[in-house]
Amino acid sequence: MEEPKVELDDLEVNQERLKQNTNQLKNLRVYGSLNAGIIAGILGMDGWIGIVIYIAIFLIVSACLAIKMNFKVKEYFRSSYDAYYSGIGTDLLLFLMIWVIFHNLVNIL
Amino acid sequence: MSDILIDDRIRDWVFLPIIIVMFMIQMFRGLLTKYMDNRKTSQKVTSKAQLAEMIDKNITQQSQRLARLHGLLPDQSFKMKRAHLCDHESGILTKASQKPAKDPMQSMSMMNPAAMADMLKQNLSGIIFMALQYQWVSYFFSGFVIGKVPFPLTQKFRTMLQRGVDVQNLDVRYISSISIYFVLLFGGLQKIQQLMFGDDNDEFVDDTQMQMQMQMMGMPTMPSLGQQNDPGKLFIAERTRLEGVKHTFELNKSQDKAMKSLKRFLMQ
Repeated sequence: MEEPKVELDDLEVNQERLKQNTNQLKNLRVYGSLNAGIIAGILGMDGWIGIVIYIAIFLIVSACLAIKMNFKVKEYFRSSYDAYYSGIGTDLLLFLMIWVIFHNLVNIL
Repeated sequence: MSDILIDDRIRDWVFLPIIIVMFMIQMFRGLLTKYMDNRKTSQKVTSKAQLAEMIDKNITQQSQRLARLHGLLPDQSFKMKRAHLCDHESGILTKASQKPAKDPMQSMSMMNPAAMADMLKQNLSGIIFMALQYQWVSYFFSGFVIGKVPFPLTQKFRTMLQRGVDVQNLDVRYISSISIYFVLLFGGLQKIQQLMFGDDNDEFVDDTQMQMQMQMMGMPTMPSLGQQNDPGKLFIAERTRLEGVKHTFELNKSQDKAMKSLKRFLMQ
């Protein structure tokens, strides 16, 4: 995963690199929720445990991101909220879709 | 209610085909949009009203850029630029804000037929595909149960999720094929398509998402460009913003910043 450094000064953040970083983050989150959906579906999780798995995998992805950045969030993103917690609701629908599909494929049909 | 056993053939001939077909159609739509974008020639400014619109847009862009990047200019240049825009009698912003507010009917983007046709085409293609898929799924695959959702739901969802299945006491978790269609539609085949189409198309992604939102809210009656209703107010707002900018030339702070980053570098 390539994350070029962003130098924050008072005037303006380097826009292109920030955009590239957030794009990569978005891709990463999509992969994360895909995997969470597949895990939840195959293991046959029922009900609220599935959502817990989604949140757990989301946090694991954020933790891996933090380790990769050596915990210096400011150099890569605008704020730590942005980098770690911001997109949790948007990929939830994707997770639900994948969960329903895999749950049906593996356990029921 | 004990578990219902669903035949293997439902999976082979219903579940997987719906998913695969919807995915293919989504990819096809993506390719189509790309193709259309490539073939679109740049729009020529044809009418006078369109020219005036472009001028207004450029003025606001210029003032916004000045307000954002004022630190890059030394004091004298900034003052000159600001006076050029905001002066009491001859500034561009004051002159522009004194123009009468445009007639809202006229200033909608019906004045540039090319852009309107493009938007209509995009919307139509999206809606046509949605309607087609819905018809296909509900014609061929109605009347039986396809699968089960993993989470418990209330009875209110019964009409939505079990359309065509008339068994009253059936657990709401068992769903019909239309609900798979909805799940796929809203869930985001788009995101997976994004993964495939790669990172070179940021604007493309924003367009389809915007397009999806517009579809869900019905046909858009007005494009959401605020300038077209009352440009005078916008210019007045821009002018007050520019006049309130506290200007400091960033070069003056550069020594301190260099010291700070050097210290930070040496500390590591």
